[in-house]
Order: sequence, then structure tokens, then C-alpha cells
Amino acid sequence: MSATILALTWSIPLSIRMASMKHRVKSVIISVFNALLGLPTVLVGLLLYLIFSRSGPLGFLKLLYTPQIIVIGQAILITPLLVSLMYEVFTKALAEYWELALSLGASRGQAYKTVIREVSGDILTISLIGFSRAIGELGVALIVGGNIKGYTRVLTTAIALEVEKGEFNVAMILGLLLFIIVLSVILSIRFIKRGTQ
Amino acid sequence: MIELRNIWFSYIGNNYVIRNVSVSFDRDVIAIMGPNGSGKTTLLKIASCIYRPVKGKVIVDGVDYWSLSEQEKVKYRRRIVYVHEKPILLKGKVADNIGYGLRIRGYSRVEVEEKVIKIAKELNILHLIDKKANELSTGEKQLVALARALILNPNYLFLDEPLANLHLAVRRQVVEVLKKVRDEGKTTIVIATHDPLLALTMASKVIILDRGRIVQTGKPQNILNKYII
Repeated sequence: MSATILALTWSIPLSIRMASMKHRVKSVIISVFNALLGLPTVLVGLLLYLIFSRSGPLGFLKLLYTPQIIVIGQAILITPLLVSLMYEVFTKALAEYWELALSLGASRGQAYKTVIREVSGDILTISLIGFSRAIGELGVALIVGGNIKGYTRVLTTAIALEVEKGEFNVAMILGLLLFIIVLSVILSIRFIKRGTQ
Repeated sequence: MIELRNIWFSYIGNNYVIRNVSVSFDRDVIAIMGPNGSGKTTLLKIASCIYRPVKGKVIVDGVDYWSLSEQEKVKYRRRIVYVHEKPILLKGKVADNIGYGLRIRGYSRVEVEEKVIKIAKELNILHLIDKKANELSTGEKQLVALARALILNPNYLFLDEPLANLHLAVRRQVVEVLKKVRDEGKTTIVIATHDPLLALTMASKVIILDRGRIVQTGKPQNILNKYII
């Protein structure tokens, strides 16, 4: 959940910025984000490992094998997904609600607030998709987290470990637990969303 | 008065959809007519200060709008209201939609409620105000959008195809409301329309637009005889 919130902090302004761009550069940028959707999580993990390892450019932060780097990694991993989906939402919303707000005398700040309010349901749904992707990923958590028991071990790395040990039943139970967690979060947010509409 | 001086506008590159248009709107009802794609909607949005022209000036009450600070722009923009062809309603109740412009201008909740009820009565849509926006028909949405605009008592009212998608009875109702606003004489009304009848009954001046250029202006009777009828 922290990774999703972190990713939203840059994905929302980035998507709005891209959606409000007029020139053709934006189609190139969005194509890059679309292409990044297919990036293997192991590759993202490896890149982060190289950047945050002791000899890497950000090694001095000493984040490798900490829960924080897993959150950062997962946030980076889901960013292309969030941006690609939110870009579409904001492109439509800016054409409609931004213009509407301006036409009724809103300031730019009020117009942005109106747009965000109108697409809040869509942002919530996209966030859920991002959350599902983040919680279910293995590559980043395993490579930069290190699967340290009681510290950086998450459900997916625990499942991978149990599979390696041949403990398939435990792996299946953990998988079921992961599924139940994702389902519960999605159902509760959908319930909240319906209540606010 | 809103004055457009030598306006050029393109959505992308050099593909101009408005070409060197100069026109002014002042204390009158003006109908802008022309075929699909002639630039009517774009021109209305430029005059409403929603779109910034690529070249040319938009003078609102003697001031060059696009040279103003953001704060000043809001002040001038609040004299103008633009109503979209396809009504766009915000989430929530009809009353919230009608009161939106007042809320962002800082009116109190009580004042907003009073004014919403007053305008809803005038437009005969009081029975709709507690409904959710997504429960309305297109015609009802159009009336709500019009109420949301009229509640602000704008100096300039830009209407994009206000009668499109409306049932005959609702069309008559909208025309009556617009005539009332016209007769009060406080609002300059500019209507983009395909409807020659609306232009004849409402407007004192017709502007014919074709491929982004003004090709004719004059009294509706003279113009429509030549171009439409």
C-alpha cells in the first residue's frame, strides 16, 4: 500500500502534465510508458540493485536490503502502469471538467480541484490495479529486499522460498493468503467508493 | 465588450482552424452560423477566454485578457460564461451542479441554496434539484447547464448549440428563457447554432463562419436569405 501511495505522489502530477501537453512529444512519452509496462520485475530489481549497492551511485543511502527499498522499487515498478492508465483518464477529464470549471469562472487551482474530484473514483480504481501489481511482484522484493526473515520477507518472497524448499502446501496457503488480502482490499475500497457516489 | 482582434488559432502546428478573425460582441444577441467544422465552437471558446489564440488579442472590457496576471484573469473570466453543446455535469446532485459557480465565488451555503431554488423555479426544474446528475435525460441536463450559467448573471453568455438534442417543448422553454435574458438587456448573448429559426427569432446580428474565416455579417433577415434559405 505504501508503494502505491508513493507512486501516486508522482504519477498523478506527471499524468496531468502529460495530458495537458499540446505538442507531439507527449505521444512519444506515453509510448515509452506503455513500453515500460512489459518490463520484467527482475530487471527493475537488478537496476535498483546496481544503483543502491555499496558501489552504486546511491549506495551511500544504505537502503539495500531494507523494507524502504522494496517500497521504492515497487513504486517505480507500478509507475508506468499508473501513468498509462491515468493519462487516459486525465486527457478526457481535462477536456471536459477543466474547461467546464474555467467556463464557470474557476481559478486554475479550483479547476484542478474539480478535475481531481471528478476523476477520484477512476484514480481509486487505478490505484487498486497498481496495488495488486505491487503486492504480487517478486523480482524487486527478492533482489533488493534480500528476503531477510522478519525484516524484508514479504508474502511473495516467502512463497518463492517455500517452493524452493519443496514445501508446496505452505506455498499454496501463503498464495491463498495473498489472494485474500488483495481481494479484501479491493472489495472494501469498492464498498467505500459506492458509498461516496 | 469582448473584442477579438486578428485571431488565429490551431490545435496542432500550422493547421489553423480560425484565420485572422476580428469581431466584437457587445450588448446584443449575436448568432454565429456556419457548416460543421467551420470553427464556431473554437471561436466561442476563444471569446470565452478558455482557449488562448496562437496570434491576435482578446480584449475583455477594454483589457487585453491574455496579458493579465492569473488573479486578474479570474476576475475578468467571471464576467463570462460558456455553455457546452453537450451538457457536462459534475458528480453529485443537480443542486450542487447549479450552485457550482456561486460556491467557487465564495457565496455562503444558504445564499447558494436560495439562488439555486430561485433559478430552478424560473426554469421549471425545481423537481430535479435533488436528483443525481447521472439520472437526468439529455434535455434535462441541458436545462441544468443553462441554469448553472444563468444563476451567475454573466455579462457575456456564450451558448454552443443550445437547442441541440432538445425536445420541442423544452426548446420552446429554453428560447423563452433566453428571450427573457435578452430583454433584461444586461447580458450579451452569443449563440453558435445551425438553427436559422433561432437566429431569426433571437439575434440582431448574424456572423457566418466558413473554414475559420468570417465570410459575412449582418442582420439575420438579410444574411439568412442569402446563405441558408
